[in-house]
Amino acid sequence: MSATPPRAPAAAPKDVEARQPAPTPVAFPPAALKDECEAILSRYPTRQAALIPILLLAQGHYDNWVSPEVEAGVAEYIGVSDSHVRGVLSFYSMFNLKPAGKHEVWVCRTLTCWLRGAAKLRDTALEKAQAERAGVVGEDGKFLVKNMECLGLCEVAPAVFVDGVAHTNVTNEKLVELMDACE
Amino acid sequence: MPTIKINGRDLEYEPGETVIQVAHRNGIDVAHYCYHPSMSPEGNCRICMVEVEGWPKPVVSCKQLCGENMAVQTESELAQSARAGTMEMLLVNHPLDCPICDQAGECHLQEYSYELGHGESRSTTPKTHLPKNVPFGEEIVYDAERCIKCTLCVRFCNEITKTGELAMANRSDNEQVVMTSKGEFTTNYSMNIVDLCPVGALTSRDFRFKSRLWFMDFTPSLCTGCARGCNVTIGGRGGRFMRMEPRENQDVNQWWMCDPGRLGYGHVNSETRLATPAVRDANGQWQPATFEQAIVAASAALKDARESHDVLLDGGATLEELEAARALASAMGGQARFAAATGDDADEFLIVNEKGANAKGAEMLGLERQADAAPAAVLVVERDGNVPAALRDGAGAVVAFVTDATNVPDSVRVAFPYGSWAERSGLLVNVDGRVQELRAARQVGPGNLSPAFALMEELTGELDGNHVPRDRGELVAAVKNEKAFAEVAFPAGVAAGQTVGAGS
Amino acid sequence: MAKKRYPETKILSKNFDKENSWTFDVARENGAYTMFEKALKEMTPDQVIEEVKTSRLRGRGGAGFPTGVKWSFVPKDVDKPKYLALNADESEPGTFKDRWLMELDPHMVLEGCLICAYATGLSTIYIYVRGEYPLSQERLWGAIREAEEKGFLGENIQGSGFSCNAYVHTGAGAYICGEETGLLESLEGKRGHPRIKPPFPAVEGAFGCPTVINNVETLAHVPWIIEHGGEAFAKQGIAPDPDNPRSNGSTGTKLFGVSGDIKTPGCWEFEFGITVKELLYDYAGGPLDGREIKAVIPGGLSMPVLTADELDVPMGFDDLVKVGSGLGTACAIVMDDTCCMVEASENIAHFFADESCGQCTPCREGCHWMEKIFKKFNANQGTRSDLDLLEGLFVNIEGRTICALADAAVWPLRSIIRKFRHEFVAKMTPEEQAAEKEAQAEKARETAGVS
Repeated sequence: MSATPPRAPAAAPKDVEARQPAPTPVAFPPAALKDECEAILSRYPTRQAALIPILLLAQGHYDNWVSPEVEAGVAEYIGVSDSHVRGVLSFYSMFNLKPAGKHEVWVCRTLTCWLRGAAKLRDTALEKAQAERAGVVGEDGKFLVKNMECLGLCEVAPAVFVDGVAHTNVTNEKLVELMDACE
Repeated sequence: MPTIKINGRDLEYEPGETVIQVAHRNGIDVAHYCYHPSMSPEGNCRICMVEVEGWPKPVVSCKQLCGENMAVQTESELAQSARAGTMEMLLVNHPLDCPICDQAGECHLQEYSYELGHGESRSTTPKTHLPKNVPFGEEIVYDAERCIKCTLCVRFCNEITKTGELAMANRSDNEQVVMTSKGEFTTNYSMNIVDLCPVGALTSRDFRFKSRLWFMDFTPSLCTGCARGCNVTIGGRGGRFMRMEPRENQDVNQWWMCDPGRLGYGHVNSETRLATPAVRDANGQWQPATFEQAIVAASAALKDARESHDVLLDGGATLEELEAARALASAMGGQARFAAATGDDADEFLIVNEKGANAKGAEMLGLERQADAAPAAVLVVERDGNVPAALRDGAGAVVAFVTDATNVPDSVRVAFPYGSWAERSGLLVNVDGRVQELRAARQVGPGNLSPAFALMEELTGELDGNHVPRDRGELVAAVKNEKAFAEVAFPAGVAAGQTVGAGS
Repeated sequence: MAKKRYPETKILSKNFDKENSWTFDVARENGAYTMFEKALKEMTPDQVIEEVKTSRLRGRGGAGFPTGVKWSFVPKDVDKPKYLALNADESEPGTFKDRWLMELDPHMVLEGCLICAYATGLSTIYIYVRGEYPLSQERLWGAIREAEEKGFLGENIQGSGFSCNAYVHTGAGAYICGEETGLLESLEGKRGHPRIKPPFPAVEGAFGCPTVINNVETLAHVPWIIEHGGEAFAKQGIAPDPDNPRSNGSTGTKLFGVSGDIKTPGCWEFEFGITVKELLYDYAGGPLDGREIKAVIPGGLSMPVLTADELDVPMGFDDLVKVGSGLGTACAIVMDDTCCMVEASENIAHFFADESCGQCTPCREGCHWMEKIFKKFNANQGTRSDLDLLEGLFVNIEGRTICALADAAVWPLRSIIRKFRHEFVAKMTPEEQAAEKEAQAEKARETAGVS
């Protein structure tokens, strides 16, 4: 092959994103969770097995979401990489990876609830929350509405959870009432 | 040994072997993405599905253990349709941006889809979009849309380096690889994931958008970053070193190489490479010279040399160069020595503290290792190599073989251009005593370089009328005759008499 | 005379109506833990396994694997610990029977677990409860604490030398963790990516150790089997097909659920054999006023639909397979004439696209692709070739993945586009509708010509 001089390198179609500074891990567990974390760890032959229960505990403790700082803190505590923790967090729909507002509303969207009018409930919830779509906190930061897959409350569909409490046979009016009752 | 039938052939297998292992060992091609022999099989890409006669569903051959009386078909209708079906799924959300993708030309997605021959997509719905241009540490860029989620990179960090920087995140067709929020790899081997990636999802910042592969020339050679002697393939184009990738050698580096070694080629592409011999005129000014003129001037300078009659070589010099240097020193009445750097970055994997890629060979030839500045008449040094400036400049040498014009000490009267490690051919003995062949990479370096060993042999002839300059084969034969090399195996193909020049 | 209603048989549900049924005292009054005591004191582990084998009890989670056979796969003499992972990750849509058991009779569930633990020689029980079931978690933890206090859990239970501990493990929202190996990965603190079998969990399960994985309802049956014997259980329900040596029948009772477009959704216990129609009309009250039932998925979301004409079939493992569907979780979802099957398809496809773990290519890419095609129809942009494409995707997805989630996505969707093609045609572009009409007419002419 003849030695053709290389042309000037083509410009990248888009610049590589800037690298984010590493978060500072929180000191985990905080005093309030210490005993419970240790109790959870004692149930399993590996520390990693305690990851999901401990993350649920952490989410409840830190304003209903798992920040990069909390993620890194839990990773250090469990002894796994924070990327593994991110992988786990993003796999399970109950975890919030962004600030979650003051109240979390789950609207079941799966077939039974959908047949019983869940789509309308979702629209009502989003409107009340002033959120453009499910999974995004509303403008006033009060509500996070999440579309959840089957919550197992099918015989009393449609079902909604508000801050972890199940409500069944929910009508539009009832949902508005429930959300109005949130401080 | 038990046997399994693959495509009608009875093939032996060890209990515990998978179908793909036996197929590959026997030259039967089975397409694969997520399978790599170094890692636990995951069976997620589903491209390696084959038919087992009598079984209702196709199975993944990377995970399917061989069994007696199993009859496997890799090209049956079922196997082909399973493969084609998977291929279609892999491409449905793939951006198909091959024209601007670095992987084009060595992309397994391209290869298999070419083989399967689907020209057009049946998809009439919009593609799913995912993050692109995500930095993974300093050197790697990730494109989640090109990614086929084979998890080889994740498994590499979990199983090979055990540093766990990467993980899969999200689920469904939003699945993607994420990196530790620390943003840095803690391993020196991160860039192997770029090689592992079967598609263009992981690209090296160093090589991104530099060259299409088909304009490059590839040469199997060695890395000389340390004395491990990792087997590599060097890609060159138009005189420039473009990239280096590891080449499988189970006895040395398996499939891998370290990042510092991979990126340690900067001086090869230096803008101040010495391209022709140069001689100082009466005013002390450098004048370009032909090789013949330079040889004459160098022998005159060496005959005048009073302070020393030694030759100081770089610890990366080849056995051929060392042998020629020994003869040259002996003709002058001195001795050949070498200098080699020592690091403190050895790990339990590939990197060793000995940085002289042929320090072991030099020691076996009985050369003394030099640590402090000492006089020498001749220098053979590579820029950014093993001879520190203090030793180089403190030798008071009159003749120098240098890769870079900026590396010529003031005392030198005649300078010969020396090929960088990427442009030289010769034998190196790695840290474990294994003799391996360094091969001059095509399309790398200024070209038209005469091998240093040949020049030294000519010089020796000038100084010693009885010396008949030896070719490469004769130099190798002389090394082989040394007691220390009596029991050592030499690579096949370096037959006596075979002369390989530098560059091409 | 009116047809006699298929009778309820309350075994699992015997305490459901009792006040505070979930407390130890009420459960104990009704016999809780006596069969565990019987097994401990009067039976060898092998005898327990034999009884369960004799009963032909099949897994109630959907797959229907014989429970006794599963237990017998657990190696006896190993140095490693062994585990029971109770699958209480009830996330199959339309399914809520295990929740009723856990909320209303957690001690029966626990007793079943303990008998299983004794039979298979294991001493740690993890009850993997989905995160969306807070009350189930609370009641199970309560039951565990009470059982510990009363000496039915812990060290040297009832002086027998047998020790066993139980813990509730909380999931966090992932359908795939109901798949047994996905559950194991999740239990180990990972993403719930199903594993390729073999190795089977009975040999290499949680933490690399032998592990029994059973569904809640499955183990809740075990105390009754110990009390009355495997033969008595095997006499209930549908006997194995005598002409098919591999048939296991559908023995015993089962919790059947109904939800969706139906008057009185709920959960009832019958011996196997009640027909879908009897369940829907005699117990669930039939369609809502002024409506007609259009389609029914007999068990969860993952089985092929039955049309209104196909409901006269017994709810049994083999019986529903014979009509091209499956028992699944035996919790039926009913769609009536107000339901657009194209929209339902999009809803179903979205579920599987959302819940695909992302591991295998055909499922990861294919489920969302199917959803996108249904979306296209729902925007009245469908074409006949889109339906052909869907059929092609079904082939490329079904049976090509590690677990059955992808199959579960294909089955209902394929049955819907075949049985309700006209609804899809109605959502095609006008040109495509005309072409379809022409093609149908051509087909009719050909048929007429032939006959």
